[in-house]
Amino acid sequence: MMPIETSASVSGVLIGIIQFLVILVLAPLLTGIMRKIKAITQKRTGSSIFQTYFDIHKLMRKDEVVSEEASWIFRFSPWIIFSSTLVVALFIPIFVVYSPFGLGGDIILVIGLFGLSRFFLMLAGLDVSSAFGGIGVSREMMISSLIEPALFLLVFIVAVTYDATNIDTIVSHAAESSVLISASLLFSFFGFFIIVMAETGKIPFDNPATHLELTMVHEAMVLEFSGKSLALIELSQSIKQLLLISLLINFFIPWGISTSFSIAEMFVGLLAFLLKMISLGMLIAYIETKVAKWRLFRIPDLIFLSLASGLMGIIFLFI
Amino acid sequence: MISMFEHIIPLFELVVVSYICGALFSLLFRKFGSGKPFFIPTIIGSIFLIVLSLKVIIDGSSLHFELAPDNVFSVNHFLIDGIAAFFLLLIGIVSLSVSIYSLGYIKEYIEDKHVTVFGFFFNTFILSMILLVSSNDVFSFIVFWELMSLTSFFLVIYNHENESNLKAGIIYLIMTNLGTALILASLLLLSSQSGSLSFESFRLSSDSNSAYVKNIVFILAFIGFGTKAGIVPLHVWLPYAHPSAPSNVSALMSAIMIKTAIYGLIRIIYDFSGVGSGVTDNHEFVWWGFLFVTIGAISSVVGVLYSVVEKDIKRALAYSSIENIGIIFIGLGLSIVFLSFDLIYLSAFAMLAAMYHLLNHAIFKSLLFMGAGAIIFRTHTANMEKLGGLVKGMPWTSLFFLVGVLSISGLPFFNGFVSEYLMMLSFLSSYHIPDILIAISVGFASAAFALTLGIVLATFVKIFGISFLSKPRTDIIYRIKEVPHTMLAGMGIVALICIILGLIPFIGITMITHAFNLQLPPNQTLFSFEPILSEFGASNNLSGLSLPIVLMIFVSILVATLGFLYVVGGRTKQRISETWGCGFGYFNERMQYTASSLSQPILHVFRNFYRPSLAIQSILYHSSNSYMKESVKIQISNKNIFEDLMYGPIISSVFKTYERTKKFQTGKINLYLLNVFVIIILLLVYVRLSP
Repeated sequence: MMPIETSASVSGVLIGIIQFLVILVLAPLLTGIMRKIKAITQKRTGSSIFQTYFDIHKLMRKDEVVSEEASWIFRFSPWIIFSSTLVVALFIPIFVVYSPFGLGGDIILVIGLFGLSRFFLMLAGLDVSSAFGGIGVSREMMISSLIEPALFLLVFIVAVTYDATNIDTIVSHAAESSVLISASLLFSFFGFFIIVMAETGKIPFDNPATHLELTMVHEAMVLEFSGKSLALIELSQSIKQLLLISLLINFFIPWGISTSFSIAEMFVGLLAFLLKMISLGMLIAYIETKVAKWRLFRIPDLIFLSLASGLMGIIFLFI
Repeated sequence: MISMFEHIIPLFELVVVSYICGALFSLLFRKFGSGKPFFIPTIIGSIFLIVLSLKVIIDGSSLHFELAPDNVFSVNHFLIDGIAAFFLLLIGIVSLSVSIYSLGYIKEYIEDKHVTVFGFFFNTFILSMILLVSSNDVFSFIVFWELMSLTSFFLVIYNHENESNLKAGIIYLIMTNLGTALILASLLLLSSQSGSLSFESFRLSSDSNSAYVKNIVFILAFIGFGTKAGIVPLHVWLPYAHPSAPSNVSALMSAIMIKTAIYGLIRIIYDFSGVGSGVTDNHEFVWWGFLFVTIGAISSVVGVLYSVVEKDIKRALAYSSIENIGIIFIGLGLSIVFLSFDLIYLSAFAMLAAMYHLLNHAIFKSLLFMGAGAIIFRTHTANMEKLGGLVKGMPWTSLFFLVGVLSISGLPFFNGFVSEYLMMLSFLSSYHIPDILIAISVGFASAAFALTLGIVLATFVKIFGISFLSKPRTDIIYRIKEVPHTMLAGMGIVALICIILGLIPFIGITMITHAFNLQLPPNQTLFSFEPILSEFGASNNLSGLSLPIVLMIFVSILVATLGFLYVVGGRTKQRISETWGCGFGYFNERMQYTASSLSQPILHVFRNFYRPSLAIQSILYHSSNSYMKESVKIQISNKNIFEDLMYGPIISSVFKTYERTKKFQTGKINLYLLNVFVIIILLLVYVRLSP
């Protein structure tokens, strides 16, 4: 079945906007939930699950301190990072197989837009000329350049299995087949999960909760940001996490996602999505508690595991 | 064959005359040191060239020219068909922007050098490339190929005071002559089959050649042209020659000279070998494509791995050229593989991807080399460890360089993204290949391609971040000024093209499909674009390329966020303060990350490839106390596995042979006479004995 081709209809646009808003609203909540679960598994009370909203709101109202070394790149990059993340949000279906600009929503374009935001984040890290920025950028360079081949192989498998690179089409084909139909998809799922962990800075890879130079990757790059800029970066990080998790959900476990605009189906879709999102969040938080942060030069091993599962998936795809 | 002599304005002649004028003016007006007389004819000539090539591409008809109607070989006529016009267009655009840029850049050399010589070789170099691409017989092809190699050799050693440049020149000369020999062999083998030196006869006889001959022709041409293109392991000259040349010449060499090798390969494969003509069985060519994909994947990964650890901007860019040539080879290879399984549209699509990438690379690499030249123009160094903070003194240069960096990294809204998107779609469509082993191998090659893209992003973050951002690492940069307007204009033209080709890919796609449609008459539909949809599955059209819409969304989100943030957060102040230095309050430029340390993690991950070695040398105050060190010197060096393991033994064995033959070279005339005498006797005996 094709995705719903009613891009011009009023209800379509409305649903699209609602999905977009759902992403915006849910993203900090997911971060809060994951932090809470982590706290509970560590026998702490933890802050409220809504704490991320308060943090972002607080940051928005704060004055900014900008380094005297910083150029326009530093000032501009939070905006580019945030906008490109939000553009991706328009392309990714959440609870109904229709996203407002789904026709342009190509998986390769999504990878490219994430690349754009990462590129400016890295430049901003170098721009302030602090050694912290450098340390973060140099680690991010290693991790992101190794992730790229793994990610492309996994996308390769998904795109060929569902015969499309358009995200909406992939998801609707996936929703039809309704089961993990092949070994290659299972490998792809496994590899993609590792990549989501890496891209969102979860524990074996990175630990955003600390500011220890031995472990920092993402936090080191954003150390010099403050006020509104930091709010944008934090928010886009949350949104990126939600987007990657919803890609994972809708590519590999799309059951329950609505394929029409009927209210009941969409309600089920939303509930199913929330359920899957929270359980994945719990799984990730559980892993984070179970595993220690890995030494930096062991991280490539984990990414190569993802790459290897991609290669296995490719073999299973063709035979 | 349609001959057309109907050109009303003799554009081609005007082009040739302009460049010759440029070359001659350089020699005649030696007193004018300003450089204007050399480059203004070049600018005019390039504009004519652009018009001419666009006319051919749009009209869709080939043009024939005869420069000298009456000559010994009677084959000296020129043909500009779609393919040639496409390459001429590239030469036109790049030489236009580079020669505008050179108006300012030449001031770097005016004081202590003969710029006239430079002007002469510069113009001859471009002219030889133009005539090479339009030549239509073996004789003129080889003559202009050699002319191109020689003029570029002289341009490479233009800064001959520097000894290392002379070494670079000699490596380049040896490698390029090796390549020329093989190309000549390949073309002569073709002409021995067809009985004529004319390319026209090659086309006619292409189907009658045996597969055996075709394979030999292909191998010779692949190695010969591959040397010029700089594929691994024949790339050794490239990282020496490109950085040694003045930056405007590096731009020309990297952007268009190495592309002439691709042009030659396309001619040999698609034009003279009858691949895809429908007459011969295509299956026997599958290994050609496979070779292309393999070598392309190796070149791209090796090129980018060397590029990312490089400290010298121009060397990093040169290695990145190897990587991009690799990507183009992958595209060509996929095209041949698809063709050999009769997947005509997919083959056309892969060809489109390869050619789009070729076009892009010509544009952004010339921009980046010109940007590197602008840095050298002001700071007199290409070493990133001595740069930093250029964005403040040179805002326009850094903006243009940033456009180039974004393009080469393949990020959305810039042209590199489009070709990488097309390449990825070509990879994805490899599941149509019926042979499972080949399909899996192509799938694996896509991992190499994606790894390349990942490291390219890291490379250019490093190049831009270290040289343009952060605190200046030398004092001179605090007083630096923007480069002259002409240099900015030269960079601006190509930067604009980067954005146009990135936002409206339709222009480039139409141009390429038009240009390459001409050359494959048996498959008229081969390069038309519509049918691709049917083989891709109905849903997968190119709507993902509606980039202007995506950009509009991007901008509107940006504006909306701006509004939202000020509504929610209210007006806030911004305070300028120094970078946080862990509370010590003393922060200087040496506390920053360096270029080498930035890429160290990647070096560590691929340490089996780089074979880094660390030499620590401590100078002690007193030999009895090894803890009190006066100074510590650390040297990190990487082993170049190609030069050490592959070329090292070859070179040393050549020198051993020289040592042996030296015994005959005593300098005594009577010994030489004896040698001659002995040889004559032997020859006479041979002639007598042979039947």
